[in-house]
Amino acid sequence: MTGTVLLEGTGLGKSYGGVRAVDGVSLRLSAGEVLGLIGPNGAGKTTLVDLLDGAQPADQGTLSIRGRKLTGPPSRRARSGLARTFQHPHLALDLTVRENILLGAAAPALAGVGGLLRGLAAGAVRPAGKRFDAVVRQVAQALELGDLGRRCGDLTLGEQRLVEVARALAQRPSVLLLDEPFAGADAAGITAIADAVRAVRAEGCGIILVDHNVDVVASLVDRILLLRTGTVVFDGDPAECMASAEMQDVYFGTGGENVVA
Amino acid sequence: MNAVSTTRKAPPGLPGWARSAETGRVLGTLALTLGVIAWAGGDLFRQDLAFLGATYALLALGMYLPFNLAGTLSLAYSAYVAIGGYAVGLVGTKTGWPLPVAYLLGALASAALAVVLGFATRRLSGFYLAAVTMLFGVAFQSFLLDAKDITGGAVGIGSIRPLTFFGGELDRHGFIVLTLLIVWLVAVAIDRIRRSPFGVTLQSSRDVPAAVEAAGVGVPALRLVALGVGAAIASLGGGLFTTANQTIGPDTFTLSLVMLAIFMPLLGGQGSAWGAVLGAVLVVELTFNLQIFERSGSLIFGVAVLAVLLIAPRGILGYTGQAARFLRERLTRTSRTPTEGAGR
Repeated sequence: MTGTVLLEGTGLGKSYGGVRAVDGVSLRLSAGEVLGLIGPNGAGKTTLVDLLDGAQPADQGTLSIRGRKLTGPPSRRARSGLARTFQHPHLALDLTVRENILLGAAAPALAGVGGLLRGLAAGAVRPAGKRFDAVVRQVAQALELGDLGRRCGDLTLGEQRLVEVARALAQRPSVLLLDEPFAGADAAGITAIADAVRAVRAEGCGIILVDHNVDVVASLVDRILLLRTGTVVFDGDPAECMASAEMQDVYFGTGGENVVA
Repeated sequence: MNAVSTTRKAPPGLPGWARSAETGRVLGTLALTLGVIAWAGGDLFRQDLAFLGATYALLALGMYLPFNLAGTLSLAYSAYVAIGGYAVGLVGTKTGWPLPVAYLLGALASAALAVVLGFATRRLSGFYLAAVTMLFGVAFQSFLLDAKDITGGAVGIGSIRPLTFFGGELDRHGFIVLTLLIVWLVAVAIDRIRRSPFGVTLQSSRDVPAAVEAAGVGVPALRLVALGVGAAIASLGGGLFTTANQTIGPDTFTLSLVMLAIFMPLLGGQGSAWGAVLGAVLVVELTFNLQIFERSGSLIFGVAVLAVLLIAPRGILGYTGQAARFLRERLTRTSRTPTEGAGR
């Protein structure tokens, strides 16, 4: 089920002061593949996602998407087909569920200064933005979001997770970065997100899934990247990873690290 | 919970366009605008108030888009309005061009200025944009006094020719009609933009800029567009005001306008562009029309803003909207209509 290489990173590194948060990480993500990114707190998972997405510039290493160099701010990378969710949901709390998903659906049309000016003019003429309705409705249905008129500030954390995943899906990405999408979600939410991930994987999307919840990750992913203090200590089959000495060491070892399995 | 609903169904009986809330808003505000035109009539004092209110409304709308929606604060609004005014002064005395050319030139110059100031501070925090634009506003005031050859110095520019319309000179009442309809049109446009995908992106960039970036819209460019459009709208206000008075000087648009620009949308309610217009009407009413308070208008304005912000943080429109929702809920709860759902 895996196909062509979508995303490829080589020797990615990032330091904060003297601490190397990500230290020479190389990774490869293929079309239709779910790559699980696991590791204890402080292993560098979110920093790695930020390096891929451009939220933070990498100190070293190169990154490419479908063989073409991937650089610049997140907005430019999003236009190359990248979408992400955040560890702590980033939603406009005064806006409705529909409007927050609309941000993802409409963003490609608002790219560049020309797109912004066209969007401004179109806003005065056709404020409803009906042409994005189909996409919004589809991803909302996939995640079982119910009433789209609710204010996001009135939602539970689990519902906010679903809205964030919906917004990322509405971008129609070819690479999807999910930073702990299951944290705070209830059982139904976890199922909905897992189903949505399987659905876009079937369409050829490549997904990187960051999570502490090793059980959920193991059932969903094709391959696991185990991080520890900024370096990859295991890269391979989920079952092998679970049984590996590295896994035992990282999660149950005596290294003095935070155990969050 | 598989049903996905995006819009509330309107009551049956009328064709779709006629029963939408949007149509009600547009027609209702048009009726109010026509009401103000009728109120001003031929009374010179009322006409002056209407022109001032229109200028303030455009100033407030120009602030509303970049500040209240996008969260970027520029403090050079006195300069933007003055540029619009002086554009009319220069075009109306030194060229034979029609005055609308001046509106366009003033709007373009103000927008360009706002974009340049925004671009220069794009990598810094919002505080720097505010500081730099405030300094620019102060410097611009001095420039108007010093550049005597262009601006006429302290005297300013007088005897600006009036606006002509289809060959004939537009009289004062005709110009009131035109000005207020322009304000109405701009407010309708801004309020529609607020609810559009562009407006949703703008508001998201105020609250969660990282999410807007990650979705694919460059936040710095988005902010510059908002700043430019806001400056252009404020400049149009200055142009129309100057056309009405046929004179402009360095004291016509002072730095205190910036404070009004910030507080008018807050006073009226940030939830809608019409809050900015309502704020402008209230300011004119409080500072000029209430004879008893003749000399203490600005004091009363300050106290009123403070009171509104404390009692109704969402402004007057937000407060009345909340009250209306509360009443509607009460009414529907008591009369649980058996016809509910008949229109589906």
